Amino acid sequence: MITINSLESIFNEEQIIFLTYGGTFTQSLIAGMTGVLEKEIEEDELSMATSNNIFVVFIELAQNIMNYAKKRKNSLHFDPKGLVFVGKKENHYFVCGQNIITESDKTLIEARLEEVTSLDKEGLKKRYREIRRSGRGSHDKGGGLGFYEIARKVENLDFRFDKISDDRYYFKLCATI
Amino acid sequence: MEKLSIEETKYTPRIIMDAEKGLLQIKGKSYPENTFEFYKPMIEWIETYFRSPQVKTTLQMEIIYFNSSSSKFFFDLFDRLEEYRERSDITIEWIYDPENESALEAGEDFIDDFEMLNIQLIEKWTTS
Repeated sequence: MITINSLESIFNEEQIIFLTYGGTFTQSLIAGMTGVLEKEIEEDELSMATSNNIFVVFIELAQNIMNYAKKRKNSLHFDPKGLVFVGKKENHYFVCGQNIITESDKTLIEARLEEVTSLDKEGLKKRYREIRRSGRGSHDKGGGLGFYEIARKVENLDFRFDKISDDRYYFKLCATI
Repeated sequence: MEKLSIEETKYTPRIIMDAEKGLLQIKGKSYPENTFEFYKPMIEWIETYFRSPQVKTTLQMEIIYFNSSSSKFFFDLFDRLEEYRERSDITIEWIYDPENESALEAGEDFIDDFEMLNIQLIEKWTTS
């Protein structure tokens, strides 16, 4: 159970949280949150490359949650809500997200993320270009490019699936930049 | 042919397509909710334009950052321009801020992917 105390520990544990959001994701919310991040990060005097990487990773993660919910909006007992937070610990920034997915999607996502996290920067670049080249017209959903896009921009990518019930898992993804 | 002009928003770029000058410009951030829908008017304009284009056509792209579906869309756009290259002398100017390595890298990727297209990497002049 979340209590005020546990929230406090999230905010105090040697890290700074710039942004947290839990609920249903919409495009205008994502754009608004990206704007907030731009303001927060501006004050940190980061290089333009690093700040843009943080924004892109945040956008990919948040739009993933939004698109996943849209795709399943008519399914029974589906909870469209997600969670994101962006923060800083020591000299690294992190962008984390969580949403609820089905078991079959877990299988797909897990396989892809295992591939993504096994590749080095050159390998990622190669796969990214291969996937982008294939499937003309599939850019609505990014054609599966999203995780490669994220991985190319981060130092580390962690993921975890926590079982809720037979067909439901929490999918947690955390990127360090 | 009428000019196409779309205002910039928080998550979509400014688009100006000028048939008389043969100048196509896309400038800003790109992470629409539905990339294909957003760029559809531009793609339709481009299709019409290349039925009777200018001798020279320049596409200027200055994209600060973009999501993966925009990346896929730009790829498809360049693929289309490659098909049109017999009809007009096309130059793509990929404009990037020197401090924005990701934008430079994205431009380099496109050069590697489209050997038949004339893609120029152009460093944006900044005051800092």
